[in-house]
Amino acid sequence: MNALPARESLTAPEGTEPTGPVDVIIDQAGKTFQTVRGPIRALDPISLKVPRGAFVALIGPSGCGKSTLLRMIAGLEQPDEGGAVLVRSKHPEQFRKEGELGIAFQDPALLPWRSVADNIAFPLQILGRPVKRHAATIQSLIDLVGLKGYEAALPGQLSGGMRQRVAIARSLVTDPSVLLLDEPFGALDQILRRAMNVELQRIWAARQTTTLLVTHGIDEAVFLADTVVVMHAQPGRIAEIVNVPFARPRLPSLFSSPDFHALCDRLTESLHGGDASP
Amino acid sequence: MKTQPARENARILFGTLIFFAIWEFLGATTSWGIAMVPAPSRILMQAFADRELYWLHGTATIQTSAIGFAIGVTVAVVAALLFCLSPRLELAFRGINIALFATPAIVIGPLLVLFLKGDWPQTVLAALMVYFPAMSATLLGLRTVDPRIADLVAAYGGGEGKLMRYVRLRGALPDLFAGFRVAAPLAVLGAVLGEFGSGTRWGFGAFLLSALPQGNPARLWGIGLASSAIALAGYALFLLPARRLSASSTAVTLAAVQKAARPSGGWAWQRIALAGIAVALPFVIWWLAVTLTHVSPIIAPGPGRTVMFLIEGRQAAGARAALLTALGQTLPVALLGLLAGLAFAFALAALSLLAPAVARALLPIALVAQNMPLVAVVPFVVLIFGRDVTASVFMAMLVVFFPAYVLLHQGFTTVPRAASDLVSAYGGGRWKQLVHIAVPYSVGHLFAAAKLVAPQALLGVMVAEWLLSGVGLGNLLNVSRGGLDYDMIWAGALISILISVAAYEAVGFIERKVGR
Ligand SMILES: Nc1ncnc2c1ncn2[C@@H]1O[C@H](COP(=O)(O)OP(=O)(O)O)[C@@H](O)[C@H]1O
Ligand SMILES: [Mg+2]
Repeated sequence: MNALPARESLTAPEGTEPTGPVDVIIDQAGKTFQTVRGPIRALDPISLKVPRGAFVALIGPSGCGKSTLLRMIAGLEQPDEGGAVLVRSKHPEQFRKEGELGIAFQDPALLPWRSVADNIAFPLQILGRPVKRHAATIQSLIDLVGLKGYEAALPGQLSGGMRQRVAIARSLVTDPSVLLLDEPFGALDQILRRAMNVELQRIWAARQTTTLLVTHGIDEAVFLADTVVVMHAQPGRIAEIVNVPFARPRLPSLFSSPDFHALCDRLTESLHGGDASP
Repeated sequence: MKTQPARENARILFGTLIFFAIWEFLGATTSWGIAMVPAPSRILMQAFADRELYWLHGTATIQTSAIGFAIGVTVAVVAALLFCLSPRLELAFRGINIALFATPAIVIGPLLVLFLKGDWPQTVLAALMVYFPAMSATLLGLRTVDPRIADLVAAYGGGEGKLMRYVRLRGALPDLFAGFRVAAPLAVLGAVLGEFGSGTRWGFGAFLLSALPQGNPARLWGIGLASSAIALAGYALFLLPARRLSASSTAVTLAAVQKAARPSGGWAWQRIALAGIAVALPFVIWWLAVTLTHVSPIIAPGPGRTVMFLIEGRQAAGARAALLTALGQTLPVALLGLLAGLAFAFALAALSLLAPAVARALLPIALVAQNMPLVAVVPFVVLIFGRDVTASVFMAMLVVFFPAYVLLHQGFTTVPRAASDLVSAYGGGRWKQLVHIAVPYSVGHLFAAAKLVAPQALLGVMVAEWLLSGVGLGNLLNVSRGGLDYDMIWAGALISILISVAAYEAVGFIERKVGR
């Protein structure tokens, strides 16, 4: 139900206008970092529209500006002169104050002195919401990411994959309407990763969360997303936007279907195509 | 893995036992041992005979240091919070902070007596000595925030307030306790130095002053060891919470994202104004203190009158001559002690690279000894070196050596592994590694050490002069204090503080030049 409008409406700026409400508008936003060794062009000015309820995956070689793009949407980086980012028609700094934004960075970034449960509760505290009233939510998120029994553990006692799962649970605790995930499954093994993919799809479908997912896994992108944005590096830019036609809900059996593999191969080509695209 | 620390402990215990056995033997049988290094059993017996004195003096010093410590760290933590919230405020207070760090504490004692009654002079001096290390460690802790966590707080719309409440305050705790740990022994030193100046009856400072002329080596050693024990107990008190905290506070992964270089904000005139305030503020506070307390200007002159004392009037020439003579006696000795102590520390730290066994033996001793109050070594110095200039030089060297060695040892051990491996790969031995890699890498640490210990060298010499040799700036202050020559006390204090701050700034200046 949510896949249909998304598939047709996410377009490059030159394309047709979207029909439904648009959650994220990126308009000619580029990013140049001023460093001691001179300016670094992380992103060429790019444009992108993400409709409400869409699931967009960003893939590209490392250093192509995926994290920078996500950080711009979270208002942690300002686009260069002439570019703009709007989330639900607001500036990102304004939007994130409403507590409707969920984020998981490439790195778990947990508070080392807080237990798993308290780390997951942290966004609630920042937003000034009562933690006690959300105790059930927190517990269900801990169960969801498979950390039952580790509620009181400190980050130092967890493996890298477990820490990453804490960060995923934390990004969901505020019940966000816009979710930004930066390689959240990078440190997970293949089996766990598949399981988390299925869970993420379930959460997304149930809550109509507009989701942007940065990933290195092409199969993951195809399995989860309505639209895959392929990026190239030096300078960072959008090379191609590919729609994923598979029906929802997608079952794990999709991973072994020939259509699925065909699309993955096509994306791999686009990823390595370099000058072949646009 | 598990047996490693156990074996280490056994080794340390064994070494300590042998050390005491040799000490006992030499101290009891040789003539110089009896005169200078009395056997542990004799020191213990003397201490037992003096137990009532120890109780009276000990409780006085412990009480003074504890109250001073509490006041000092309270002010330090509040100041660190304010400085963290407003970096401009810190710039404005820079002059005060450096003066408090660099001031040879012994010159403050006689001044505090003019304003305060009872135990308060030594209590306040203890608080003043505690302030800087506690403040700077806490401030460092508050300032250091994992940039990833800062991003997380920002992404959920949290501002500086939330960051302070949930991240900075808790994150600073390990540094805060590290600062307290260093500050606790300094509170004891401040209390004892204050007792010298206040002429109080009770306290280890008074005990030492009365025991110095008696020629009872066992009693002198007992006083030195007991005051060290109190200071080290203060250090140990904060060891445990710090250990426990740091286990749960260190980030489990290193921050991969580097914070973008902040554009150097603020206009030039603003920074110049703040620097002006920083220089003026200590003098303003001095002026306010003497004005608001209504102490007679004869006893407590303001900055203007003190400068005039050295420039104008009949006595000015005499005062200048007395000060210059004292400086001529003190500064060369302090400089000699500083350079010798640094050179010695550098050589030994380098040597521990060639012979790691040296470091293994020396480092634990140095770690403990750098926290010993320097007055505790006075008995040792007077018994071995007597009361002349050698005693002063040795005293300065001693207070310089241990902290410098610890810092330089760190410098030599942080030499990048790959660099030394490169030398080994081309067949270079340890000696080549030392000359080509380790020494260049450690120059930065040498400056850090010099900045840290330069004021200590001056303090060491002045304490030796005050108590033992009877020459120089330390003696001048002591004599002026006895002769109620208030103008001279203030002038001497001012000059010593200015020299100390200048030395600190000079090392910083050279460091910046060389660092480029
Ligand atoms: N704070 C920063 N300062 C300077 N350069 C940066 C900064 N953040 C990212 N970059 C640079 O921008 C480019 C894109 O980085 P990033 O967005 O992290 O790429 P990705 O997430 O796709 O691997 C890289 O070349 C990186 O070095
Ligand atoms: Mg990235």
